[in-house]
Amino acid sequence: MPVMPAPDPTGLPAPVVILKFLSVFTLTLHLLAMNLLVGGVTMMALAGRKRQTDPLADRVFRRLARALPVTMSMTITLGVAPLLFVQVIYGQAFYTASVLIAWPWLAIVPLVMLGYYGLYICQFRPSWLGNRETVVAWLSMLAILAVGFVFTNTWTLMLAPSIWKDLYDAGISGLKLNMADGTLLPRYLHFIVGAFSVGGLAVMLLGRTLKSADEQVSDALQTAGRRWFLAAGGVQLIIGFWFLFALPDRVRNAFIGGNVLDSGVLAAGIVLAIVAMAVVRRMPGLAALLTGISVFLMVGTRHRVRQISLYPDLQVNNLQVNPQWALLVVFVAVLLVGLATVAWMVAAFVRAKPKMAG
Amino acid sequence: MLIGIIAILHVFVSHFAIGGGLYLVLTEIQARKTNDPDMLDFARKHSTFFILVVLVFGAVSGVGIWWTIALVNPTAVSTLIHVFVWVWAIEWVFFLVELIAAIIYYYGWERMDPATHIKVGWIYVVSAWLSLFMINGILTFMLTPGRWIETQSVADGFFNPTMIPSAILRTAVCVALAGLYALITGTLIRNDEARARIVRWSAKWVMGGIAVLPLAGFWYVAQLPPMARDISMGGAPVVTLFAAGSILFSALVVGGAFIGPYLFPKHVHVTYAFGLAIMGLMATGVTEWVREAVRKPYIIYDYMYSNTLRVKDLGEYSMSGLLTNAKWERPTEADTKSQVRVGRRVFRAQCMACHTVNGFNGMRFAVKGWGREFLDHQILYLNELKGFMPPFIGTDEERAALVEYLLTLNDTEQESDVAAAPAEQKGGL
Repeated sequence: MPVMPAPDPTGLPAPVVILKFLSVFTLTLHLLAMNLLVGGVTMMALAGRKRQTDPLADRVFRRLARALPVTMSMTITLGVAPLLFVQVIYGQAFYTASVLIAWPWLAIVPLVMLGYYGLYICQFRPSWLGNRETVVAWLSMLAILAVGFVFTNTWTLMLAPSIWKDLYDAGISGLKLNMADGTLLPRYLHFIVGAFSVGGLAVMLLGRTLKSADEQVSDALQTAGRRWFLAAGGVQLIIGFWFLFALPDRVRNAFIGGNVLDSGVLAAGIVLAIVAMAVVRRMPGLAALLTGISVFLMVGTRHRVRQISLYPDLQVNNLQVNPQWALLVVFVAVLLVGLATVAWMVAAFVRAKPKMAG
Repeated sequence: MLIGIIAILHVFVSHFAIGGGLYLVLTEIQARKTNDPDMLDFARKHSTFFILVVLVFGAVSGVGIWWTIALVNPTAVSTLIHVFVWVWAIEWVFFLVELIAAIIYYYGWERMDPATHIKVGWIYVVSAWLSLFMINGILTFMLTPGRWIETQSVADGFFNPTMIPSAILRTAVCVALAGLYALITGTLIRNDEARARIVRWSAKWVMGGIAVLPLAGFWYVAQLPPMARDISMGGAPVVTLFAAGSILFSALVVGGAFIGPYLFPKHVHVTYAFGLAIMGLMATGVTEWVREAVRKPYIIYDYMYSNTLRVKDLGEYSMSGLLTNAKWERPTEADTKSQVRVGRRVFRAQCMACHTVNGFNGMRFAVKGWGREFLDHQILYLNELKGFMPPFIGTDEERAALVEYLLTLNDTEQESDVAAAPAEQKGGL
C-alpha cells in the first residue's frame, strides 16, 4: 500500500475544477515562455559556433542575445502561478517527490541564476568577456536544459507513489532522481524538442518584425526559425508516440480510445500542431495561434496523465473544499486590472518609435 | 541555515527592488524638472545595475526561498498555501506587472517620451510595493496569527496584529536600502559636481528611511506575543545580542551616511559606500534572524510547532503514539524488536526538521556526556527547560526509545548495530 501524506486539513480554497483550470492555463503560459527561452538559447548557442567566420551568424547571435533575458524573466514569473496551484491541488504528491529529490531540486535555483546571468552577459557583452560569448551562451543553455531535466524527474516521481516508501527507506540523502522510470527520457525529450519547435516559430516571427530594420538578419531568422519549427515538430511527433507508449497501460488506454474525451483532446492537439506546420509559410500568425491552442490541449492531456496515474492513491476530486469566494473575486479583479495595465504598457512601448535602428 | 542565507540576501535585494524603483522614478523626475543631464544619465546607468540585481537575483532568490522552505517544512508551506492561495495568487499578479514594468522602463529610456516613461516607473513602484504588502501579510501571520486561530478567517490571518507595523518597517527599509545601493553607483560618477549632488541626495534616503524605524519598530515589538518579546529582550541571551546588533548596525549605517556622504559628498569613495552597504546587510541579517528566532518553538504561532506537528494533535499523539500517526516512520517488524531503531524513527519524525546527527544543530554533540536519566528528564520537560523548543510529543515508550537512540550517538559499539539497519542516517538540511 503506497504511502500518501494526509491532505491539508485546511481544505481546498475553491472547487477543484477552478483550481485545475487555473493550473492548466497558467502552466500553458509558463511553457510557452519556456519554449521561447529553450528554443532561443539553443539557436543562439549554435549560431555562436559560426560567429568567428560568418558575420551574419554573429549578428543573429547578437539579436537573439538581446531578446533572451526577457524570455527567462517571463518563464520564471509565469512559472510561479502553476507551481502554486499544483501545491494546492497535488501537494501531497508534490512535496513528497521534491523532498526525495531534495538536492537536485534545490540546485534548480543556482542553475537558473547561472543561466540567467549568462544570458545577460551575452546581451551586455562586458569588455572583460573578450571573445568568450559563445562559451557563456553554451553554459547558459546547458544550465537551462539541466533545470528542465530535474523538473521532469520531480514530475515523474510525483506520479509513482508506489516507489516512494522504498526510496525513503533506502536512505534519506535527498538525492533520489527518478532515473529508472521508463517515461523519464521520452517525457523530457518531448518537452525539450517541443520547445525547439515552438521556439523556432517565435524566432521566425521575431525575424518578420525586423524586416525594415535589418533585412539580412530578418531573413536569416525567418529561415532558421521556420526550419527549426518544422524539423523539431516532425521529430516531436515521433517522440510523442514514444512517450505515449512508455506510459503504463492503464494510463495510455485512456488516450487511445479508452476515454473519448481524453483521446479527443490529445488527437485535436496533434492535428492542430500538424495543421500549424502545414500553414506556417503562408499564414504564420494562424500557425502561431494553432500552436498556442495545441500547447494548451497538450497541457490538459498532461494534467489527465497525472490524475489517472495517481488514481486511486490520490483522488483530488474528493478533497475537502472550503471555498474563499470573496478572495477569489478579488483575485480575478486584480488579474483583470493587472492584465489591462500590462496591455497598456506594452502598447505604449510598441507605439513609441525606437530612436535607434535595430 | 540555507533558508536563512537565501532569505537574508533576498530581503536585502527585494526591499531594494521596491525602494530602488521609487528612487529611480523620483531621480528621473527631478533630473527632468531641473534639466540636469548628469543626473538623468546617472539614473539611466543606475537602472542597468538595478535590473541586473533585481530582476535576476531578487526574483530568483525569492522563488529560491519558496523552494527551500517547501523542502524543509512542506507541512507548514502547505498550510500557508492552502490558507492564503488567493493572497499568493494576487501577489503573483502584482509581481508579474512589476516585472513587465521594470523591463519596459529599462528598455524605454531611449524609446518612450518622458511622461509615459515616468508613468511606467510609477506602475513599477506601486505594483512592487503591493507585492510586498501581500507577502508581508503572510509572513507576519506566521508570527502573530491573531484571531485566525479561533476564526480560521483569511481576513483575520492577513490583517493580523503585526501586519501594519511590519509593512511600515519594511517600507522604511526599502527607502533606506535604495539610498545605500545608489551610493554605490553614485560614488562612481566622474563629474565632481554631479557626484556630490547625487551622493548627498542618496544619503538623505538612507537617513530618512532609518529615521522611521525606531517608532515603527516599537509598535511592532509591542504587538508581539509576550513570550516572543521576552526572548528578544533578555530571555535568550543570543537572541537579545542579535536584537541589539540590529539596532547597532542601523545606527552605524545612519551615522556613516551622515558623516560621509551627507557632510562630505565629494570625498566619498566607492569602498566607503560598499562598507555602508555591508553594514546594511548585517542589519538586515540580524533583524531577520531575530524575527525567525522569536517565533520558536512555533513555525506558525500557537498552531504548528517548528517540527511541523500541530498543536491540536499534541494530546492525541501522546495517547496513541507519534509513530502510529507518522506514515513514513511506521516501525517495521524488525524495528519493533529494537528500542534503538524505534527511537531513531521517533528522531526522524519529530526532531529532524531542525536537528541533524552530526551537522547543523547536531545531536551527537548536544547530548555528549548525558546519562539516561538526565536525557529522559530533558526530553520530558523539553519545552519548559528550553523555551524555544516544542514539547516532546509521543507516548512514554516512544520517549524511552528516543533516549536509547540518543544514547547510542556517543557509544560507538551500539551505533554500529544501528548503522547496519537498512535506513542509513546521513543527516539532512
